[in-house]
Amino acid sequence: MKFIVVFLVAVFAFGVVMMRIEINRSGRAIGKLQTEVAVKEARNQYLELENARLAGPEIVSQFAQEHLHLRRTPPQKVIVLED
Amino acid sequence: MLPKKNPFAFNAKARMKLCGFLCLIPPLAIGIRLFYMQTFLYDELSNKADRAIYNFLKEDRLRGQILDVNGNYLAESVRTHSCGINKRYVKDKEATISFLAENLPMPKREIEKLWKEKGNFFFVAKKIKPDVYMKIRSVLRKPLGQGLDLTPEYERIHPYGTSALDILGEANSKNKGLSGLELMYNDELSQDISKRRAKRARRGEVIYDRSLKEEKSVGNIYLTIDALAQHYAEAALDKAVQDYEPERGIIVVQEPSTGRILAAASSPREDGQALAFQFAYEPGSTFKTISIASALDSGAVSTEDMIDMDGRKWEVAPRVVLQDKQHKEEELSIADIMALSSNIGAGKIALELGSKNLFYYMKAFGFGTKTDINFNGESKGSVAPYSKWTKVDLASKGYGYGVLLTPIQLVSAYSAIANGGYLMQPHLVDRIEYANGKVDKKAKPQKIRRVLKESTTEQMKEILEYVVVEGSGKRAQIPGYGVAGKTGTAEKVSKEGGYAKRLHVVSFCGFTPIKDPRFTILIILDNPKKYTFGGTAAAPIFKQVAEGLLTMYGVAPDQPEKLVQADAKKK
Repeated sequence: MKFIVVFLVAVFAFGVVMMRIEINRSGRAIGKLQTEVAVKEARNQYLELENARLAGPEIVSQFAQEHLHLRRTPPQKVIVLED
Repeated sequence: MLPKKNPFAFNAKARMKLCGFLCLIPPLAIGIRLFYMQTFLYDELSNKADRAIYNFLKEDRLRGQILDVNGNYLAESVRTHSCGINKRYVKDKEATISFLAENLPMPKREIEKLWKEKGNFFFVAKKIKPDVYMKIRSVLRKPLGQGLDLTPEYERIHPYGTSALDILGEANSKNKGLSGLELMYNDELSQDISKRRAKRARRGEVIYDRSLKEEKSVGNIYLTIDALAQHYAEAALDKAVQDYEPERGIIVVQEPSTGRILAAASSPREDGQALAFQFAYEPGSTFKTISIASALDSGAVSTEDMIDMDGRKWEVAPRVVLQDKQHKEEELSIADIMALSSNIGAGKIALELGSKNLFYYMKAFGFGTKTDINFNGESKGSVAPYSKWTKVDLASKGYGYGVLLTPIQLVSAYSAIANGGYLMQPHLVDRIEYANGKVDKKAKPQKIRRVLKESTTEQMKEILEYVVVEGSGKRAQIPGYGVAGKTGTAEKVSKEGGYAKRLHVVSFCGFTPIKDPRFTILIILDNPKKYTFGGTAAAPIFKQVAEGLLTMYGVAPDQPEKLVQADAKKK
């Protein structure tokens, strides 16, 4: 009986230790992934901002005028279709 | 004879006692030491242990974004790093410098020069991009990277370049707003930097813990500014600056029904210096609209009245003579006074209205008071108490001298005429959206007070339309659209005293379409080097900006019959 109790306590203690080790290991992996995510997010953000810059009115209108030879439509010629 | 027995040597019990006692000494000593450590060295040792086990992470939150009314980015922060060198800890100088030269956009020679010139610690590069950061970070724990230091920083990026920079202002690399909206809304855009404890692994990596979950409280600010409208205004202003070389240039676009500012362009464009709110000036003839609207509203004059021009030379007071050189009429109607921009007419009408009444209307229009648009450094202009006005002061206020006002005040006053008589609270910030989902709506249309009767505003619209159709504002005409507005060419006060003939402020303020006004636009060119007038310089800029806005918002012509007439004329 005594042996069984000691054995169970030992198993429980082992389980707790293993659980702590596993939590720490996963935490470390998550920490690493989070750093990677942060760097990728930052890289993505730069790309998004570059995209926003290229889609900005100044760049678009300059491109439209210089490369596509477009010009702004006078307001009288705009036809607005409403639902 | 046998040697005498040692009673202790052969006494097993005694020897066991001794052994037991000896065995007890180390645990006892350990126990005492532990007790000492637990009680007397507790603080020192627990701090040491904390440092070994935990990392203290800086709460690092990206500054909130500033966006236009349609959600286009105007200002956004990105994480960057600065790379520094601590010479004392560098193991292999040559290898470390070569590594940095390979990865940073900096020649080896320059890094070596910095190494020689600077002290023990110096920064090699700032605003390092994520890819380079990862490369440097990967060697930090290796001999090659010893002595290198990566300090987190922030970079504020404006995707549209300098567009609206005067309104947005600047934020520094430590996430702090320095000017403009960045400064005014610093609390909403940023979060206090605090420290958090996180478990650390052997090589310094952070071990994730649920307590590390981010709690964001920063907000994103949506402005009432429309990036495209702002672009039209800035492009038109840049062209005007090129053509007329003014000291300053300002364009303000407001939605008269709500008071929202759609665009506010300044030249020169410097961060946090939005002239639309900070510049105070004597408006000149654009102010005639206010004095004449006040006189009509109070009943001091009516649209049928004819004003005597006194032979176009009016002696307001002894030795103060006003002259109208732009016409040869002996009498003018109110509409003609506006169309011909007669100072004599406006001065006489102001006298008819009286000091007290004009002062009351000026205050009701919001002149001499801050608009509460909440912009840093907003000027309130200046309106002296009417008790101090002389007859000359009153007459000159009638045509826009002796009163200082800001562009936002004037554009709001014209909007009151456009929207049927209500002074609306001008807004620059539409809403603030916080990360936790809370939305703080700022730009609810808010009527401050009724300034004019609706019937007066209708009369004023007709008069201002007449100015554009027949008078000094002809160059603001847009085929198919009713335009109401007034030109202004004001002399500036010279340093020597009095008004300088060659220093001018030229302006045009108006709204379109007349039937349902969508945009009130004010154009100001302060002290253009090339001599010009409100009607020749500012009115065409109004037209250019208004056409862009009407196209962009798809506003249908309110006077299509005029469009047909114009087409027929062309044919």
